Amino acid sequence: MRRSYLGEFEEVVLLTVAVLGTGAYGVAITDELDRQTGRAVSISAVHAALHRLEEKGMLKSHLGEATAERGGRRKRLFSVTVLGSRTLHDIRAVRDQLWDSISPQGLPAVSL
Amino acid sequence: MKYPQPPRWADRLLEVFCAPHLLEEVQGDLYERYGRDLAEVGVRKANRRYAANVLKFIKPFALKRQNSAYPSPSFLHPVMIRNYLKTSFRNLTKNRVSALINLFGLSLGVTACLVIYLITNYELSYDTFHADRGRIYRLIGTEKFGPNAETHPAGFVPNPVPLAIRKEVTGLETVAAFHNITSAVLIPGGTEKPKRFEQGKHGVDNQEIVVVEPQYFTIFNYQWLAGNPKTALTEPFQLVLSEQKARKYFGDLPLEQMLGKEVIYWDSVRVSVAGIVKEWDKPTDFTFTDFISFATIRSSRMSKSINLDDWNDIWSSSQAFVKLPEGTKPEQLTASFQQFSKRHFQKEFKFIPGLQPLADLHFNADYVDNYSRKAHLPTLYGMMGVAVFILLIAAINFVNLSTAQSVQRAKEIGVRKVLGSSRKSLIFQFLSETTLLTLAAVSMALVLVGPILSAFQSLTPKGLTFELFSLETLLFLLFVTVTTSLLAGFYPSLVLSSFRPALTLKGQTALKSGQKGYFRKGLIVFQFTVSLVFIIATLIVDRQLSYIRNKELGFSTDAIISIDAGRAGKADVLAQRIRPLSGVERVSMQWFPPMGMSYMMTKMKYTGKQEIEMDVSAKVGDENFIPLYGIRLLAGRNYLKSDSLRELVINATFAKRLGFEKPAEALNQFLDFNGKKIPIVGVVADFHEQSFHDKIDATFIGYLPQQSRNLGVRLTSNGRTMNDVKATLASIEEQWNAIHPDKKFEYEFLDDRIARLYEKEQKTSRLVNTATAIAILISCMGLFGLATFTAEQRTKEISIRKVLGASVAGIVALLSRDFLKLVFIALLLAAPVAWWAMNEWLKDFAYKVDIEWWVFALAGLLAVFIALLTISFQSIRAALMNPVKSLRSE
Repeated sequence: MRRSYLGEFEEVVLLTVAVLGTGAYGVAITDELDRQTGRAVSISAVHAALHRLEEKGMLKSHLGEATAERGGRRKRLFSVTVLGSRTLHDIRAVRDQLWDSISPQGLPAVSL
Repeated sequence: MKYPQPPRWADRLLEVFCAPHLLEEVQGDLYERYGRDLAEVGVRKANRRYAANVLKFIKPFALKRQNSAYPSPSFLHPVMIRNYLKTSFRNLTKNRVSALINLFGLSLGVTACLVIYLITNYELSYDTFHADRGRIYRLIGTEKFGPNAETHPAGFVPNPVPLAIRKEVTGLETVAAFHNITSAVLIPGGTEKPKRFEQGKHGVDNQEIVVVEPQYFTIFNYQWLAGNPKTALTEPFQLVLSEQKARKYFGDLPLEQMLGKEVIYWDSVRVSVAGIVKEWDKPTDFTFTDFISFATIRSSRMSKSINLDDWNDIWSSSQAFVKLPEGTKPEQLTASFQQFSKRHFQKEFKFIPGLQPLADLHFNADYVDNYSRKAHLPTLYGMMGVAVFILLIAAINFVNLSTAQSVQRAKEIGVRKVLGSSRKSLIFQFLSETTLLTLAAVSMALVLVGPILSAFQSLTPKGLTFELFSLETLLFLLFVTVTTSLLAGFYPSLVLSSFRPALTLKGQTALKSGQKGYFRKGLIVFQFTVSLVFIIATLIVDRQLSYIRNKELGFSTDAIISIDAGRAGKADVLAQRIRPLSGVERVSMQWFPPMGMSYMMTKMKYTGKQEIEMDVSAKVGDENFIPLYGIRLLAGRNYLKSDSLRELVINATFAKRLGFEKPAEALNQFLDFNGKKIPIVGVVADFHEQSFHDKIDATFIGYLPQQSRNLGVRLTSNGRTMNDVKATLASIEEQWNAIHPDKKFEYEFLDDRIARLYEKEQKTSRLVNTATAIAILISCMGLFGLATFTAEQRTKEISIRKVLGASVAGIVALLSRDFLKLVFIALLLAAPVAWWAMNEWLKDFAYKVDIEWWVFALAGLLAVFIALLTISFQSIRAALMNPVKSLRSE
């Protein structure tokens, strides 16, 4: 199966972009990640991941509006490309397939 | 309300390292986060987090720059460098006048720098080449004659001291004593008449002959060309020569064959060559070439002149050097030296030995001797300062002239910028212009330095040569080139490259006034301050020198010569023969003339109400001495002719010191001299006996036959021409030759002898004069540049004024006023500096001129006059211009 490799952090960031929809930019993604996963990540790490994902063609971006709290600077808004979407779906399909293959006794019981 | 801002440094840092295409979004995000942090955790923590976040962005993705669609070559690309040079060259040839002014100024500055560097470097390198130089010291000391006398530093030691110290003081590695002597040299030539080499002139030629212990060669390293270093100087009547001296004596003989040859010193001391060494080729005070073995002293008639057992006398040619063991500090020996002194000097005369570092020898004038030439350190530092200032004002010229040209260049810069030139490459272009000019100036300096060194030979130390291809010189030239280029080029290149293309292309060419104008004015003020300090210094130095020349000395110096018969002897016979000659007015047997380098201090006791004992200066001559020199008698009479010291004449200061209100009261009092009571028969007015650095001291005049071995001769001067004087001198020489057929006749005019006292001052005066001329010349060029600039900048204003009826004179005044203001400010700054500096210089003189206010006024007037002269050309041209021409085009 041909697919491009995604790191775990990249995958999470890509998913977060999808979660945020039209309002996905650096700080918002960082905050959302924090809220959803409890991971405190630095803005620079998120920026680096976004940059890489854009290079891989899984994200596209455009500059948005300037706001006062940013000192009049515009934000770069990200959205998932078709490639990104397909990659996410592929990953999910692989996971689902793997989950389905696990026999009921295959995993020790965990009480949630 | 002002919101707190994130730390400025962090923001700056981010702007520097972050790729421009990412900066906006990144910085925006960080600001947003900062805003939230402010609300949640307070300013301090927010600031810290902001900084941490910025630092975390130092990552490859943020650092990497996006490639431009239109790449420009690096500003150091060979193509660009070729372009810089080409445009620089074109620009320099286009503006010939200013390029020449700059070139001339910079060449002068660099030449002055180079010459001064060569001189100071030469002086500072004296005796720095010896191995173990840090451990070599000269044995010096402090001397004191009698319990009430002052202590004096002495650069020499009583004769037995070095030998005794070697035995008694522990902790010294090597001690070597030597005496330097002067002597004519005879080389016996078998059956022929011996070859004769006259002795060198005192104070002019190097001291070459020393009587030296063999240890001298362990302290100082010489390369032995012939002979055995171990035995060469251990026996009496041995001699070591330097290679060149040996060649001079014996010609082209192979060195080995010179060993054993005989040389005669002092007419009868025959020594034979036992070794030949190579002379040092680096600057040194040890200019000795004839080394006679120390053992010779006791075995020959030298022992009469060099008494090795006399503890109570001290003479300047008795020298000793010491090498300390590794790790020993000279202070560790102080105690032993003091004990040594207590042991050996229990009578009137006290001497405490001490050590002087070798590095101090060339510079410390307190410890005199008679072979080393002392360099005056403050003068050297002063010269360095002068060099720096001259180069600085030359660089300032360049700054002023290039900013003045900026009007013409603004368009060029605009076009260059529009075509994509970066500021960096513009800066480089202008800097390369300066560098080109500086290199030209340096090559000019290299051409000029040889002729200048030979023209100023009297100012430069003997033995100074210029070697271009020594590492030090090349490094210095490189340093000068780089600093000058940067100093001169940095500011103009910053200003010129800062022009906004849009403005300059629209036609707004003039620089904004305000800060930039002040900067340029500040530079002009600085230049004129330096020039004014030099002008004031010149005036004061000249005044002091003319004061020295013209002040009444208290005796006459006209047409008086002194003949140093000295060792030749038979002065009385000579005097008898000279007296009747035509053209000779009076002859006196004397020791030395009233004023000069040589003087003798002695002790005298007077018993009046209480006993007074004091050091007095002695002037020695027969009964003709006082009338010959025209010394004025205040009371009493001259002493009568006699064959020993029977009567004394003292000066007014002496009489006052003895407690007499009126000179006449001192008459017929008795003075105790060497245990004899001698009456005072006359009191003379004070006369100068030393240079003006020293106060007139208590002095007596008397006849001591032992010392009166020289002659003073007064020639008839009234109504006689130079030729008559020459004829008289020739007839005196004839008489000399009749008495001393094998000795050269030497004489000196008293005026010259006195002038020799002020050699250092003459040098200072010439140095200051030269520096002033250069400084004024260069500053005027700068002023000329600025005048051009202002005239051009104010063309329109002047035209409108003219149209409205201003007169030419009014406009010239308008343009000159600003500059005069600058000169005036410079005068205010220069006056205190010059006053302080000249006050320091004059402190050395006991008799000196006052620094008067009109000197400053005169200097200011001179500067104003020079400045007006310089700018008048430009301002008159501007005022005479046809206003239509400049107003027509807008």
